[in-house]
Amino acid sequence: MSNVVPRSVRNMLSAISWPVYILLYTPLALVALYSFAPAPNHSGHSLHAYSVLFADGDVGAALQRSLILAIGSATVSTALGTLLGYGLCRFRKPNARGVAANLPSLIIYTPIIMPSLVFGISELIFFNFVHSTTGLLGAGLLTMVIAHITFQVPYVALTVFARLAGLDPNLFEASNDLYANGIKSFFYLTVPVVRPAIIGGFLLGITLSIDDFTISFFTSGPGSVTLPIYIYGAIARKGISPEINALGTLMIGTIIVLAILHFFINRHRERASQLPV
Amino acid sequence: MLKLRILLAGCLLALGMSSPRIAQADSTPVLNLFIWSSYIDPALLTAFEKKYNVKVVETDYASNAEMSAKLKAGGDSQYDIAVPSSYYVPELAAEGLIQPIDHSALPNFKNLGAKFQNPSYDPGDKYSIPYQTGTTGIVYDPAKLKNVPESWAALYDPKVNPNFPFVLPKGEGRDQIASACAYLGLGFTCATKEDWLKAAKLIVATKKRPNFAGFVDETPARDQMKSGLIAISTAYNGDIGQCYADGSCKTLKYFLPKEGTEQWVDTMAIPAHAPNPKLALEFINFILDAANGADLSNWNQYSSPNQAAQSQLQGILQTEMFTPSAADEKILYFLPPLEGAQYKLFNDIWTSVLQ
Amino acid sequence: MSASALPQTAVQTESRARAFRLWVTAGPGLFWIILFLLIPSAVLLGIGFLSSNDYGSPVMPLTSQPFQQVAGFSLLGWDDGNIIIFLRSLEQAGIATVVTALLAYPLVFFIMTRPESVRPLLMLFIVLPSWTNQVVRTYAWLELLGPNAPLTWVAHALHIVPPDLGIAPGGFAVTTGLAYNYLPYMIVPLYASAERLDWTLVEAGRDLYASGFKLFWHTVFPQTIPGLLSGIIFVAIPAFGDYVVPQLLGGDRALMIGSLIANQFTETPDWPYGAALTIIMLVFTAAGLITFRIMSRKLGGEGEATI
Repeated sequence: MSNVVPRSVRNMLSAISWPVYILLYTPLALVALYSFAPAPNHSGHSLHAYSVLFADGDVGAALQRSLILAIGSATVSTALGTLLGYGLCRFRKPNARGVAANLPSLIIYTPIIMPSLVFGISELIFFNFVHSTTGLLGAGLLTMVIAHITFQVPYVALTVFARLAGLDPNLFEASNDLYANGIKSFFYLTVPVVRPAIIGGFLLGITLSIDDFTISFFTSGPGSVTLPIYIYGAIARKGISPEINALGTLMIGTIIVLAILHFFINRHRERASQLPV
Repeated sequence: MLKLRILLAGCLLALGMSSPRIAQADSTPVLNLFIWSSYIDPALLTAFEKKYNVKVVETDYASNAEMSAKLKAGGDSQYDIAVPSSYYVPELAAEGLIQPIDHSALPNFKNLGAKFQNPSYDPGDKYSIPYQTGTTGIVYDPAKLKNVPESWAALYDPKVNPNFPFVLPKGEGRDQIASACAYLGLGFTCATKEDWLKAAKLIVATKKRPNFAGFVDETPARDQMKSGLIAISTAYNGDIGQCYADGSCKTLKYFLPKEGTEQWVDTMAIPAHAPNPKLALEFINFILDAANGADLSNWNQYSSPNQAAQSQLQGILQTEMFTPSAADEKILYFLPPLEGAQYKLFNDIWTSVLQ
Repeated sequence: MSASALPQTAVQTESRARAFRLWVTAGPGLFWIILFLLIPSAVLLGIGFLSSNDYGSPVMPLTSQPFQQVAGFSLLGWDDGNIIIFLRSLEQAGIATVVTALLAYPLVFFIMTRPESVRPLLMLFIVLPSWTNQVVRTYAWLELLGPNAPLTWVAHALHIVPPDLGIAPGGFAVTTGLAYNYLPYMIVPLYASAERLDWTLVEAGRDLYASGFKLFWHTVFPQTIPGLLSGIIFVAIPAFGDYVVPQLLGGDRALMIGSLIANQFTETPDWPYGAALTIIMLVFTAAGLITFRIMSRKLGGEGEATI
């Protein structure tokens, strides 16, 4: 591919992109800077905020809950959304008109266009009703997971659909000739082709979940505090303290380190497997 | 790959589903506390748990409005104690979201200061018991603003601050309309439609000033003051006292505007369908104990409505900033209750200001 | 398909099999959304047809009063505030979409010119900032664009901004905040769709002596349309209802439709009014999406370009 794109274009792309990357991380650099703020009544940079953070048991619990919530909901929503996007792309009657044809689209768009507050309050009323009549679905982590899955599914479905929409439909006919079974055809042809969209959808799902406050707040039960709920509460009471900045820095820093490590380990593995026997 | 993910999801869901059941398997009574974040000393909670052999589960919120919405939508059957600010109590009571408090179960009630035992927002403390209190004043940077009068003019008069960024508090508009009324000479506790409309006009005009930097609540505004992003705003005495004590806002000045300002009170209330109201009453009585009340205030660094606890308050809580003098008392008001049609009218006026 | 050559029953079986497969794949997802969102929100939005008591809770009788309020009538008479709020939010959605799209294209193609092993890392680095708390990172922008920041000194020197004020709060700060928050949502679908670009088309175009921007526009851009359309949906719709960025970086000087709706359920409660506002907003947005879909069908040629 690199021989297709001329050098001048590549340079232009780099010239635009590197500044954007820098701008993306400048606020985070500032957050990191403020996390090294001096301890009360001292001066000079310190790790005081980090020690306070580690001593706080609530943060760890909130972080753990957020991770379970994000990964759990993103997994299920990726599965549901991939099937949904695939099904609508592949099996819907093309160029159908009328309300019935547009209905699946509208249903999928609804979680995206519903304001979070209305979304959250509707869920609370609904779960409350279900709980008071059947005893199931008491407010807690499960209700939050359900709500999170609901708002993630459309994003995954749309991303997968966009990927499939560009494909040659004959590919599917060809796969039907190769694999008589529809399920096999799905897993051996479709999934590998749609992989970037599945991964992208999963990442989007995690992104949406990990920063969600409103819907989580209304669907949470006693004690099920997630990281955004904790952070919003802390900001309302103490403002953006160095501890909050330390938290953000740690999270991003950890992921960056892990990602870079993963990259180098993979590269090492690839190089090692290419060594002449 | 996909199958593995589905399996993983199933396990996680099972984990999530089992959590509420794990909590119920334990037979110790549970007190569900719905409170502002970092508003109670964990040591107090542990002491309460040990004394009554119960478990306390704390859930946090960041604003009265969200707490009220959650109670309205069904949360009033999930929590045993909520901590609304004083001006929310009449609304919550009228809507049947909180239940009357049985004072016979509160022998420590007499510890409260006289003015907190029968406040205007909740006569006789029928629905709420004061938790923490403080004053709202104005904080400014004397390096940028000179000759600032100790009055609401500091915020509302363009001549006092023509150039530097400033903010007004967010929220329901109660403080803002009240302070605008006070500045216009109509009294901090103005309560008629005409007065409100005049105050609203002033605030709209203030919004239009080029150096108006937005509606920002008192605590985040203090941070913006510290960073130099703004030069003047409203503030709680507790927040300013704290940053005086830890040295991060030494150069800023704080005062109470002479036309009148708010004595804010946060209160404890029991939601209407609380699972364990008896335990809630025991908790309230526990907090009303003199030693516990002092511990609470010393930890929060806010003033205590508990008269019996005053002698045990430490540090900056003993300074003048936290113990209003007689002269100060004259200009401190509770936000008056809004009932019925008044409430709706006020909200409409405030919405028109925000537009 | 040579359907006419097949006997009638085979065609029917074919389309029934197709319908079955559609239900099996799309069914679970659609059913989930119907059960866990459509039904609960229908209940809540139903109160848009009820009156509100003084404290904002829904009571009988049925009335169209909340919708009258949407049109601008309140206890204080009529005003055009809601129309302005609506247009303001629309403008915000437009700006966010255009800016993120303009940024996303160079970024996506930059990533594609890098070796394949680095690409996931580069994508992750774009998405990563949105894993910090939105308030924390928006406050960082407030500082970066505040009265004392280096960038603001430049603005002061160029006399764009008065000497004691900052770039934030202000329109430019809001645009920056919107672009910052929504960039990942434009990039992910665009990248997913552009990653397997058919470069032979580009070569063919070059063989036909096209070059530069024209080459891009005729051979590359059309292949990215499905991703772009998804990206537009992912950015425009949330940006339309966004109020956190204009609150923090715009000084909260003006209500957006998102904050107007939120206020009706929280600070200034009037739940029926909030429900009516939401219904109108949903109807309007759905109509926009359907139009969008019809237009995109024309752009995408045969087959659907977006759901």
